[in-house]
Amino acid sequence: MIEFQNVSKVYNSGGKEIRALNSINLKVNKGEIFGVVGFSGAGKSSLIRCVNSLEKPTSGKVIVDGHDLTTISKKRIREVKKSIGMVFQHFNLLNSKTVYANVAMPLILSKVPKDQIKQRVSELLEFVGLGDKAQVYPDQLSGGQKQRVGIARALATQPSILLCDEATSALDPQTTGSILELLKKINKEYGITILMITHEMAVIREICDRVAVMEAGKVIEEGTVFDIFSAPKTNTAQNFVSTVMHDQIPPSILNMMERKQALNHIFHITFVGESTGSPFLSQLSKILDVEINVLFGNITELQGIPFGKLIVEIQGADTEVKRALSYMQAQQILYKEVIAHAS
Amino acid sequence: MLVNSEQIIEALIQTIQMVGFSFIFSIIIGLPLGILLFVTRKGQIIENLPVFTVLNAVINVFRSVPFIILLVAIIPVTRLIVGTSIGTSAAIVPLVFYAGPYIARLVESSLLEVDKGVLEAADAMGATPFQTIFRFLLPEALSSLIVNFTIATIGLIGASAMAGTVGGGGIGDLAITFGYQRFDTTTMLITVAILIVLVQGLQSFGNILSKKIRRG
Ligand SMILES: Nc1ncnc2c1ncn2[C@@H]1O[C@H](COP(=O)(O)OP(=O)(O)OP(=O)(O)O)[C@@H](O)[C@H]1O
Ligand SMILES: [Mg+2]
Repeated sequence: MIEFQNVSKVYNSGGKEIRALNSINLKVNKGEIFGVVGFSGAGKSSLIRCVNSLEKPTSGKVIVDGHDLTTISKKRIREVKKSIGMVFQHFNLLNSKTVYANVAMPLILSKVPKDQIKQRVSELLEFVGLGDKAQVYPDQLSGGQKQRVGIARALATQPSILLCDEATSALDPQTTGSILELLKKINKEYGITILMITHEMAVIREICDRVAVMEAGKVIEEGTVFDIFSAPKTNTAQNFVSTVMHDQIPPSILNMMERKQALNHIFHITFVGESTGSPFLSQLSKILDVEINVLFGNITELQGIPFGKLIVEIQGADTEVKRALSYMQAQQILYKEVIAHAS
Repeated sequence: MLVNSEQIIEALIQTIQMVGFSFIFSIIIGLPLGILLFVTRKGQIIENLPVFTVLNAVINVFRSVPFIILLVAIIPVTRLIVGTSIGTSAAIVPLVFYAGPYIARLVESSLLEVDKGVLEAADAMGATPFQTIFRFLLPEALSSLIVNFTIATIGLIGASAMAGTVGGGGIGDLAITFGYQRFDTTTMLITVAILIVLVQGLQSFGNILSKKIRRG
C-alpha cells in the first residue's frame, strides 16, 4: 500500500521556486493497478519518484507498506527500495552489460548467491518472453524487448510494488499493448501493486483499476476507471476521456442538423453493462411508431464492463417520441436530449 | 650519425619506462580524484560542495602550470621522494604531478557522459554509493575512459621528451642533445620517426580497445 499524506514538493531551480506537488492526498491499495494521468509538467513524475525516495517531499508523509519514508534512515530507505521495482520510459539499462547481467544486477547488489541468481534470472527472462536473449546486449534489442528487460530487472527482488513512469511512452501502439498485457499478468500472478504514470488515456483504460487526474501539482479528480471514463467531472478529465471516447457529434452531422430542421429529436444514449447487449433500439421501432436513425456510436469495455455511447435521432410524432422516452426510462437507460446549436 | 643503435634502443627503453611508470602512478592518483570530483558534484551520489570546490580548485592550479615550469618548480619534492633530481626515476615525479590532475579531469568528463537514467536506476535499486561507482558508473564509462587514457598517455610521451632534458634520458633527450644541439639530422629524423610510430601505435591500440568495449 502507498499513502501520500499532504505531500508537497518544491524545487529550487535558478532561484525560482517551482511547486511541483501541492498537498497531495492519495491512497493506492494493495494489489491494484493505479493510474495517474495529467499533462506534461503536472507533477506526475515528481509524485511517483517520492514513492521510492528518488525525490524527497518538501513536506508531508509518504508511507509505503507501513514505512514512513520521510523519517527512516538512509540505510532503511535502501532496504525499502529493494521492495519497490521501477520501470522507466527510456529503460535505463546498462549498455555495457548483457541482458542477463542487467536483470541480475538488483540481486548482485543484495548479495544473493550466484546459483540462486542464475535460477531467478532465467525464470524472469522466461516470464517476460526473452528466454533466448540472456547473452545479448541491450543495443541488439528492440524498444519493446528492452522494456521487457527493464520489467524483468524490476521484478528481480520480488517487490511488492511496481512503479512505471511512462513505461510505454517510447513504444509503438502494438508494442505498448504487449507490454500492458505483461504488466497485467504481473499484477494477476504475483499480486504486485502497480502505480503507473502516463499521459495516454488508452493505457489507463486498458489496465488500470483506479485513476487519479493531476493538474498543476494537484489531484483534481480520482475514482475507478469506470467512473472517470463514464462521468468525468473536471474539464481536464473530460478532455482526457474524450481522447479515447469520442462522444462529440461529428461536424458533418452537426452541419446536417443545422441545415435540416427534420433532425430535431436527437438523443445521447448511454448503455452500461447488460443493457449494451439488448436489442432495445429495434424493439423501440417495433413497439412504437418511430424510426431510429443512429448518427454516431462508440462501444467499449471498461474494467470488463461493456460501455457504450450512441447519438440517435428518433423520428416520429411528438407523442410517439415521448412514449419512446418513457420506455427508455423504464429500461433504466440513460439519455440526454442534444440541442444542435449547443452541442 | 653521432649515435649508434644501442643508444637509440636504450633511449626507447627509458622513454617507455618513464611513460609507463608515470602513467600507472597518474592513474592511481587521477582515477580516484576524478571519481571523487564527479560524485561530490551537486546532485550526485555523495554531493559535498566543500570537497568538490577544494578539489576542483587544486586540480585547476596544477593544470594551469606549464609542464616546463612544473618540471623545475617541483625539484625539491622530487628530491624528497626519490633522493635525487636527475635520472629516469626522478623524471617520473614531475610527470605524475602533470598527468595525475590531467587524468582526474579526463575521468570526470568520462563519468559525466554516463546516462543519468542509469544512475537513477541504480538509486531506485537501492545501490550504495560504492556499488553505484563500481557496478554502474565505471562499467558504463569504461570505453570512454580508455579513449581518455590513450590521450593522457600520448600527452605523457610528449612531456617525457621535455623531462628527458633534465637528465631523464629517453628519446626526447636524444633528439635534443644530438639532433638539435649537434646538428645531427639523421638522429633527429630517427627519433621523430620513433615518436610518430609510438603515438600512432598507442592511438590505434586505444581506439580498438575502446571500440571492443563500447556497446550501444
Ligand atoms: N529536478 C527538478 N528541478 C527543478 N524543477 C523540476 C525538477 N523536476 C521537475 N521539475 C518541475 O516540476 C514540475 C513537475 O514536473 P514533473 O516532471 O513531475 O511533471 P510530469 O507530470 O512528470 O511531466 P511530464 O509528463 O512532462 O513528464 C515541472 O514544472 C518541472 O519543470
Ligand atoms: Mg514525467
